[in-house]
Amino acid sequence: MSQLLPVLLLSLFVILFGSALLFLASRIGAKGKPNSVKEETYECGIPAETSGPTKIPIKFYLTAILFILFDIEIIFMYPWALTYGDFISGGYGIYIFSAMAFFIAVFIFGLFWEVKSKALEWE
Amino acid sequence: MGTDAFEFTINFVKMVAIFLMMVQIVPLLVWVERRGSAYIQNRFGPNRVGPLGLTQLLADAVKFLTKEEFVPGRGYPFIYYAAPVVAMIPATLALAAIPLSAPFHVEPFEMFGRNWGPYTFMFQGYDFGIGIVFVLGVSSLAAYALLLAGYGSNNKYSMYGALRASAQTISYELAMGLSIVGVILLFNTFSFTDIVNAQSAPLNFMWFGKKVVVEWLPNWGLIYQPLGAVILFAAMFAEANRLPFDLPEAEGELVAGYHTEYAGFKFNMFFIGEYGHMFVASALMVIFYFGGYTIYPWLTPETAPQIMGKLLGVTSATWMSFWGSILLHLVLMAKVVAFLWIFIQVRWTLPRFRYDQLMDLGWRSMLPWALFNTVITAIVVLLMRYQWGA
Amino acid sequence: MLWDAIGFYGMALFLIFFALKTITVPNPIHAALYLVLTMIGLAGMFFNLGAHFIAGVQMIVYAGAVMVLFVMVLMLFDLKAEIRSFSRGLLSGALKIMSSALLVGFALGSAGSSVAILDSSDTAPTQIDVTRQLGVLLYTKYLFAFEVLGILLLVVAVGVVAVSRMKGGTHAQH
Repeated sequence: MSQLLPVLLLSLFVILFGSALLFLASRIGAKGKPNSVKEETYECGIPAETSGPTKIPIKFYLTAILFILFDIEIIFMYPWALTYGDFISGGYGIYIFSAMAFFIAVFIFGLFWEVKSKALEWE
Repeated sequence: MGTDAFEFTINFVKMVAIFLMMVQIVPLLVWVERRGSAYIQNRFGPNRVGPLGLTQLLADAVKFLTKEEFVPGRGYPFIYYAAPVVAMIPATLALAAIPLSAPFHVEPFEMFGRNWGPYTFMFQGYDFGIGIVFVLGVSSLAAYALLLAGYGSNNKYSMYGALRASAQTISYELAMGLSIVGVILLFNTFSFTDIVNAQSAPLNFMWFGKKVVVEWLPNWGLIYQPLGAVILFAAMFAEANRLPFDLPEAEGELVAGYHTEYAGFKFNMFFIGEYGHMFVASALMVIFYFGGYTIYPWLTPETAPQIMGKLLGVTSATWMSFWGSILLHLVLMAKVVAFLWIFIQVRWTLPRFRYDQLMDLGWRSMLPWALFNTVITAIVVLLMRYQWGA
Repeated sequence: MLWDAIGFYGMALFLIFFALKTITVPNPIHAALYLVLTMIGLAGMFFNLGAHFIAGVQMIVYAGAVMVLFVMVLMLFDLKAEIRSFSRGLLSGALKIMSSALLVGFALGSAGSSVAILDSSDTAPTQIDVTRQLGVLLYTKYLFAFEVLGILLLVVAVGVVAVSRMKGGTHAQH
């Protein structure tokens, strides 16, 4: 707990600071009269028919899910990079390199395939 | 956080100071940005309120506070209010994990009738030893502030802005994460302090199993990782949603993106988040590639206390160590400010990308180059450190 | 030691609260946001227990990637029908409570039967060592699983693109 405490304290601090400012701003700030026109969903001059988007390119979804996959692969490189020097000085340099070389080869193949299949293209 | 009251107090004060530093750097940066942009565009910028227009910042704060409070009628008030607060959290937490100077040592001393110490205080909010992973983890939460803002406002433009912003942030996170792998391969550590310490030595590396030392060059990461440095810096621009990557708030297309419905202090909090990201990005660049708080031949954690001791005429080990840390902190800040200026200069120099160009750059240029950088680094490190003939 | 316990159980309570909220709020986006908080809390839990790297991975992968996808995708849908179809009836409430009670029972049972995890070790290993040990184990003992994972991720990537291609390419007209 003692290690997480500063993180928690700092987050709490930020949240308190933010809420205090929001509260202060709502106290000091000019009081406007709310009316239905003012509170309407923002639109460029015409009455809004819907609020929020209704149709979004599936590209966003594709990007997000491909991001997860590549992110996981990159995360696996972190402990590898951390222990790389130890493996080399222990005489297992070629082993650890080829272990990751295969993984990265699959990664590169995947990326290459995504590029080839035009999945990463936005028009 | 500490074993006794003294340590606890110092650590707490330190944390508050870091938070205040982050909040205070924002108005200063805004001022620098406005004056700097005016300078770049041959205008005057804010120069009426106070000397050099510096008190413009206070006027701005007053203006922010007195703005009318407004919640969009169809929005979700709680989420709408939560988003700006959430926007400040990732940058603050990340900044507190970055060492802003060398740790300073407090020799045992007597106070309130009992003995205290010795202590060693890190010049950072907290030190976990896995600093890099922590900073990456915390800054990956930055996408939520955008999504919350877009969703809470419940408005077409905000929502599109939020979607674009989060898609952009996550895309560039890949290149960012991958370019850091090169640094870890080089220094074999997750700890910022270790990375900086490794860079406070003369340039030294293994050349096919033999150690080579170049006395007149510092051991900076930039010398080993120029490509990684470029990729990381470019990705940081996208992470902080700065021009030329400020597609989420492209005025021509999206009004103001995810903060269309925000005004006053709520808007300012998004600003604090953005500038906080810039600050963290600059600090990371300095620590990974530019020697952190050290300048090798002159200013290292060893020499700084002596220099300050001579300069200020203090002899006590505690104060020498303390002032030495302050000096190193100023060194780091000088380097960070240089990078912050690059951020500002780029913003007022380059035009904005188109969205497809942006995604292309992230996925089809920067990610492959970062991968290439990782592979090359791994091969070179293997060749150089391999025990040839042993 | 006492403070550690208080911290642990305090966080656990928060986690359970967020997890309960996740399954009891009608709006799917709010549920996803509560799940984000649960994930972050889980990272804090790992951190607390000394698994710093795993905590970081939890933050980067789950809180920072998977949940961003969830929230993003949920924002794309028109959720009014979803919110209306959230069941509030007596029967479904009873089912929910029963299934969560079953889950709690499983959790308690497995925790109780594995006594070893309840014992605290006196020698807390230093952090960087834990991560290094993890790396060494991952790339020696579990190397095969690691390489297979790479291929699995490739398969998933291909599958995602294939699914998004159904019905007239990536810019499918609805």
